[in-house]
Amino acid sequence: MREITYLEAVREAMTQELERDERVFLIGEDIGAYGGAFGASFGMLERFGPDRILDTPITELGIAGAATGAALVGMRPIAEIMFMDFTTLASEQLVNQAAKIRFMFGGNASVPLVLRTAAGSGTGAAAQHSQSLENWFVHVPGLKVVMPSTPYDVKGLLIASIRDDNPVVFVEHKLLYKTKGPVPEESYTIPLGSTEVKREGSDLTIVATAIEVNRSLEAAEQLAEEGIEVEVVDPRTLKPLDLAPIVASVKKTSRLMIVHDAVKIGGYGGEIAASVAESEAFGYLDAPIVRLGGRDMPIPYNRTLEYHTVPQVEDIVAKARDLVKVRV
Amino acid sequence: MATEVIMPKVDMDQETGTVVDWIKKDGDNVKQGEAILVIETAKVAIEVEAPATGILQGISAEVGEELPIATVIAYILEPGEELPERPSQKPPPITRSEEMPPKSEPAPATPLAKNIAEAQGLDLSRIPGTGPGGRVTKSDIESLVTPAGLDGKAYATPAARRLAREERVDISRLVGSGPGGRIQAHDVLTAAESTHLGTATTVRPSDVKVIPLEGMRRTIAERMTRSAQTAPHFTLQIDVDMTRAEAMRVSFNAKGDVKITPTAQLVKASAWALTRHPFVNAKLVGDEIHLLPEINIGVAVALEEGLIVPVVHRAEQKGITEIAAELTDIVIRAREGELTTRDVTGGTFTVSNLGMFGIDRFTAIINPPESAILAVGKTVSRPAALNDDGDIGLVPTLTLTLSVDHRVLDGVVAARFLQDLRGAIEEPGWLSY
Amino acid sequence: MSKVKAKKKQKPPITKAQAEEMIRQMYLIRAFEEQAEKSYMAGKIHGTMHLSIGQEASAVGSMSAIGRDDYILAHHRGHGLCIAKDADLNLMMAEFYGKEVGYCRGRGGSMHIADIAGRNLGANGVVGGGIPMAVGVGIGLKQQKEGNIILAFFGDGAASNGAFHESMELAVLFQVPVVFICENNQYAMSFPMHKIATSERIAKFAELYGMPGKAVDGNDLLAVRKAVMEAVAHVRGGDGPALVVNDTYRWRGHSKSDRNLYRTQEEINEWQEKDPIRRFKDYVIKEGLLSENEVDAIKEKSYDDIESARKFAEASPEPSVDTIEEGVYAP
Repeated sequence: MREITYLEAVREAMTQELERDERVFLIGEDIGAYGGAFGASFGMLERFGPDRILDTPITELGIAGAATGAALVGMRPIAEIMFMDFTTLASEQLVNQAAKIRFMFGGNASVPLVLRTAAGSGTGAAAQHSQSLENWFVHVPGLKVVMPSTPYDVKGLLIASIRDDNPVVFVEHKLLYKTKGPVPEESYTIPLGSTEVKREGSDLTIVATAIEVNRSLEAAEQLAEEGIEVEVVDPRTLKPLDLAPIVASVKKTSRLMIVHDAVKIGGYGGEIAASVAESEAFGYLDAPIVRLGGRDMPIPYNRTLEYHTVPQVEDIVAKARDLVKVRV
Repeated sequence: MATEVIMPKVDMDQETGTVVDWIKKDGDNVKQGEAILVIETAKVAIEVEAPATGILQGISAEVGEELPIATVIAYILEPGEELPERPSQKPPPITRSEEMPPKSEPAPATPLAKNIAEAQGLDLSRIPGTGPGGRVTKSDIESLVTPAGLDGKAYATPAARRLAREERVDISRLVGSGPGGRIQAHDVLTAAESTHLGTATTVRPSDVKVIPLEGMRRTIAERMTRSAQTAPHFTLQIDVDMTRAEAMRVSFNAKGDVKITPTAQLVKASAWALTRHPFVNAKLVGDEIHLLPEINIGVAVALEEGLIVPVVHRAEQKGITEIAAELTDIVIRAREGELTTRDVTGGTFTVSNLGMFGIDRFTAIINPPESAILAVGKTVSRPAALNDDGDIGLVPTLTLTLSVDHRVLDGVVAARFLQDLRGAIEEPGWLSY
Repeated sequence: MSKVKAKKKQKPPITKAQAEEMIRQMYLIRAFEEQAEKSYMAGKIHGTMHLSIGQEASAVGSMSAIGRDDYILAHHRGHGLCIAKDADLNLMMAEFYGKEVGYCRGRGGSMHIADIAGRNLGANGVVGGGIPMAVGVGIGLKQQKEGNIILAFFGDGAASNGAFHESMELAVLFQVPVVFICENNQYAMSFPMHKIATSERIAKFAELYGMPGKAVDGNDLLAVRKAVMEAVAHVRGGDGPALVVNDTYRWRGHSKSDRNLYRTQEEINEWQEKDPIRRFKDYVIKEGLLSENEVDAIKEKSYDDIESARKFAEASPEPSVDTIEEGVYAP
């Protein structure tokens, strides 16, 4: 199978859906001639024209509101918020309107929009362009939150999100854009709410999201040389969360570590940890549940400091060793 | 007025007792303070005394029956008195089945469990009981309530608790191999394997004698397994010239009155050496080594049914004659089943002597939670160098084998202890220094 | 003999039927709001509500300029707009009472009443919340090419908000079929907007952004209707969005908890003299469209209809807790 980048997979998903369904359109900043800040919509203006690729001035709230209103009358907009940090500006429309309209109106309306945004640190973009705020939106009833880690997953999940009748916050980690992987040429969907075991193992379960899936897999290779077999589990959709495979994995390994790029305190990892502790996996835990996440600090500009602010491969390896060798 | 005879509680965490023998029978006259029955707990066999003078009547516990403490098992009546109307509060006999009372009524609980629940503010009706008649026991509570550093509660992982419930291992008795002494699944599974000896249901030829692993035997099996598997043992040996010690003993015993034994001498010498080497008189608690202030030396005593280790408390403060007298008394009481709880608890070091059975030397397993054990063989005349001039003679030689817990002690520490011990035995005068 | 040239009498711009319909709607609004107030004070209503008594002409006049297939997005003071968009009074009252059969199954309440089928895309609890959405609706309607437009209502308070300004930018950029209608009732909540912004100023914003803007006397129903019709014609002609500002006044406080400490009774009295219903009634009678009796009969019927709606709502069942999580996600 041919290999393409995560970014190309995003573009392919959007292109195929715009071709298939005339109700789908893009709206965002610099998505037209510029091709998108990260290049996601490169070439799409030429292909689909300015009526379907809506380039806007700096108006995050306006973008989110326009997407909401259009969805309300049956369109299927894909809104792009360049950096997840700026979803703060779009929040009123996303949180108070899009997420709640269906419920407030007694189920009589729906808001089938996708809000795509780039998150995460590691590019030297510093504090205001590096955040990972996915847990904020998990916390809002009415929104779905998707965070894929591979090119294959991102294409299938983006197409599925576009076809979903709910507002979906679709989070793409910046460091993943250049990663490559096998992706089918034809259109396909991956259901929202389907956790995937990315690597099987028997000694420790690592639940990871986005870039930390890649780091966990690398850590797993190193740990295998020491005789520690790690099972890496990727939820892919944060909400609705498919908990069953995680529970089954923890029952198998008796140990759980959760890794995400976002800040540890108040982060999504706590949700997974508590959900597992509430499940029947509780009686199989032979060690405390451990979370690795970003430090409680804004992302620093300096490259070395930035590196050490979030979990890296060596952090995962060290903690995994401690867990398996009963030092935690 | 009828006086109740109850199954007594003699150990701190004892929940049940087993009737071994009714010394007095139904209808006998008994005097207050007189022994009327013998019961057995995990640690000791104990005589139960009559709480009052009168006629022993209404015995409701049979030999071999295991009952919760505080169960009324008989009455002592005044002449002419009738047995009190007793609602059937005698619990059904303990079986190995898992039947529990119907959920509509709150299950009963052992008195210890009731105390714990009250102290903790727990609702007993919400705790499934696995004790006799579905009673909630202390370990039922412990397996559901996470410990917070309270005495006697098990610090264990959820997996360990579940396995303990499934394998019916008493988690409160285990020593954990995890950080802080946390009991891991591995610890429970290990304990479970060692207690499954008697429950196999394979077909046996009819001439195989089957002895269920119960009581003392079971306790020994569990403790020795635990010790062997959690404490990394290594051993050191030293040969001791017993000339002077024997001479001293013979001359002292010729005096008359109290007779001292080689064991008493060894206990005293050990106590002396232990004061100089505190790491040998230590115990590992979680990830802390506790150097113990008292030197309580246990002396292994063989009984028909197994092994018991009565303890000479504060051996460092007692003279050899005192130790010898105590040992004599202890051994007699041990053989007659009259040991008290204090007799068998608190040990910090153990001496085990198989010399009288012709054993030259042997290696003993450490008695947990202690960190070392001294195995004593038989004193034998062996040829040895008498001096540096090449003269050879026969020397009464005793081989001492010290087993130590490598988590607490290293070779050098143990070796120095042994050297001092040998010194104290070979030069009895050292004991006064 | 001198001939006096008779002044050619201007025909009224509305028919008798239209006059009936419009005065009926105004009375319905007034009756509904008064009843809402009574029910609330009798302890039958949970939460709060925002009454539009005094603003009837703005609602009815604006709505008379569009058709059934056109859309509206409203603000939190939206009962009048809902009624003017031909809402079913029973369902409206039931929603107000939080009942299962209400427009939103009792889940929305006063601030979030929506009649989706009737193309009323809902009232909004966030000031300025509907304006950006209106732009999006406009984008959608333009793509769908069915010739429908949307009226986006908001208040003077929203005109200060970032959402308004971003929406103006995008509306003009994408040339959306939206008529923005600002109901300027002089006070944001208690903030006297008239100190910093008159209706003219708000209308000028529109021009600066690149769309036509007009301010009118919001209590003159026909003036409102005329201005909105012009805006609608502009929008339907494919010339992009337009803005109308209706200068009006609310007789009651912002919400039920408002104790009117920020304005004087004199001011309230002064505006009540300009009662839009009375003014229109005077007009239709003077122009011979309706007689006083006809008007009174319409008024009485309106109040009766509201009374029926009240009874309907009070008799309707509450939602069941078993259905509590329904309607959060689309299947």
